[in-house]
Amino acid sequence: MTDKFQRDIFIDEIYNAALNDRDIYFISADFGAPSLDKFRDKLPNQFIHSGISEQHMIDMAAGLALSNKKVYLYAMAPFITLRCLEQIKCSLSMMNLPVTILAVGVGLGYADAGPTHYANEDVACLRSLPGIEIFSISDEITAKAIAQNTLNEPKFRIIRMERHALPQIHSKVIDSINNGFEVLNKGNKVCILSYGHLLHRAKLALEILNKEEKNIGLIDVYRFKPLSKNLLTELNKYESLITIEEQCLDGGFGSCILEFLNKNKILKNIDRMGLPERYFFENGGREYLLDTFGLSVDDIVNRIKINNI
Amino acid sequence: MLVSAQQGHPGSVLSQIEILVSLFYGDIMRYEKNNPNSKTRDKIIISKGHSAMGLYPIFADLGYFDKNELNKFGTTKGFLRIFGNINIPGIDATSGSLGHGPGIGAGYALAAKHDNSNQRTFVIVSEGEMYEGSIWETALFASHNKLDNLVLILDRNNKIILGDTEDLVALEPIQNKWESFGFKAIRVNGHSFGELMNAFSNIGSTNGKPLIIIADTVKGKGISFMENEPSWHYWQGLNDNQLKMAREDLKKIDDR
Repeated sequence: MTDKFQRDIFIDEIYNAALNDRDIYFISADFGAPSLDKFRDKLPNQFIHSGISEQHMIDMAAGLALSNKKVYLYAMAPFITLRCLEQIKCSLSMMNLPVTILAVGVGLGYADAGPTHYANEDVACLRSLPGIEIFSISDEITAKAIAQNTLNEPKFRIIRMERHALPQIHSKVIDSINNGFEVLNKGNKVCILSYGHLLHRAKLALEILNKEEKNIGLIDVYRFKPLSKNLLTELNKYESLITIEEQCLDGGFGSCILEFLNKNKILKNIDRMGLPERYFFENGGREYLLDTFGLSVDDIVNRIKINNI
Repeated sequence: MLVSAQQGHPGSVLSQIEILVSLFYGDIMRYEKNNPNSKTRDKIIISKGHSAMGLYPIFADLGYFDKNELNKFGTTKGFLRIFGNINIPGIDATSGSLGHGPGIGAGYALAAKHDNSNQRTFVIVSEGEMYEGSIWETALFASHNKLDNLVLILDRNNKIILGDTEDLVALEPIQNKWESFGFKAIRVNGHSFGELMNAFSNIGSTNGKPLIIIADTVKGKGISFMENEPSWHYWQGLNDNQLKMAREDLKKIDDR
């Protein structure tokens, strides 16, 4: 396991660019990181503490972006999404401003803090906003590639990050960031589509199955919106798809894929795995909660077997 | 414009007229005629977006767009909308939902400070927006960061849709509230050019404090049957008599 957190990998990329670009601003709603300590120390004029005021943070970012600044907003995932959804809609989406939202601790990442601190409905809420690009980071390679993408082509985006460090899952640099996905394992019958933390569970399931099954694909769909035509070409190689997400199923990642195929008039068996529709007050940690609520590695293995008949 | 479009918010538009006239014709705001894209002009945000149309005749007069556009207000042929948006020349923030303008204004003001620009940002807010929590988030931030280039003007006409603010959920003493948040707060008669101009003369000499001018106004000012009448928040249509009366009322103001 790499010991670097996704947020530090990402912020370091922004920091290096900000050293030579004084129009890059980093705003935190009282959320930190070792890499951010360095940023604040070396570039105090480009760091802004908004107060624990997510609504103000988004509106202020709009004013800065309208003044030609490149703005990064940083806070815990549940609070920088739904708490200020109205501001994201009116100030960022409606004016289509190049502001990047960094949301840390997606899914049940903050277990056992409970449902106030979980972000498992943010995808459903955000993806309805016109113009937004939604990314999820799965490892160090995607963290760097996505950070560079936000620097090279500033746009209205949200980058969903894991709270904890995750092992490297991509074996090489991202081929084309504009694709929005990367094939991790080639197959021809069943393909698993996932992202972030659960992508690693899907890989474990695949390793168990690959001893007997050689026809299972695995794709990291690190950009949910927009989905690219190239992804369509890739999905067409398979008979059935399994989407795995740490979100509520209604309007989540699986829905993105369902609607994408429907829009392109492709009928395919799609099996969606995700969290049940409820709040999670239980103790036990993230891995325990995922195991308990239908997203264990065994659950994934079984689901693949059912679809691979 | 309201009569031809048969929609809009006359009460809120009329209560702010002297404020807008002072800003644009009282040598307060810096702008460049015929050039809404000027990089150095001051910014104007009507945070209570439903009264953005108050700016359109002024912008047309400044040459930001053709005066004929005013006749197309609210129609499919024109680009002037009930609520302001940044595709309209001269409009600096898309607005409509209450409580966003001060935050966006703080962003403009902060950028100007960082760029060593003397550009100021003026934000017109309504008392209805005083109920939105986001306003007070911005108030904390603006005073901590000494945004003395941010000027809020509160169009305090006391009326929200269901009646008087003090009967519904009281806002007073509103000046004390802003002062306690670190603003310099000045309260004036919002229909007196003299008092408004005096208040604006404080810009730049507030010891680093952001400025709020609380302008006491009358909703629907200038049209007798609309004045202080909450029901005229939204356009209701005029019969022939009312139209005649409204024109006579406005003519009286012209004559003064």
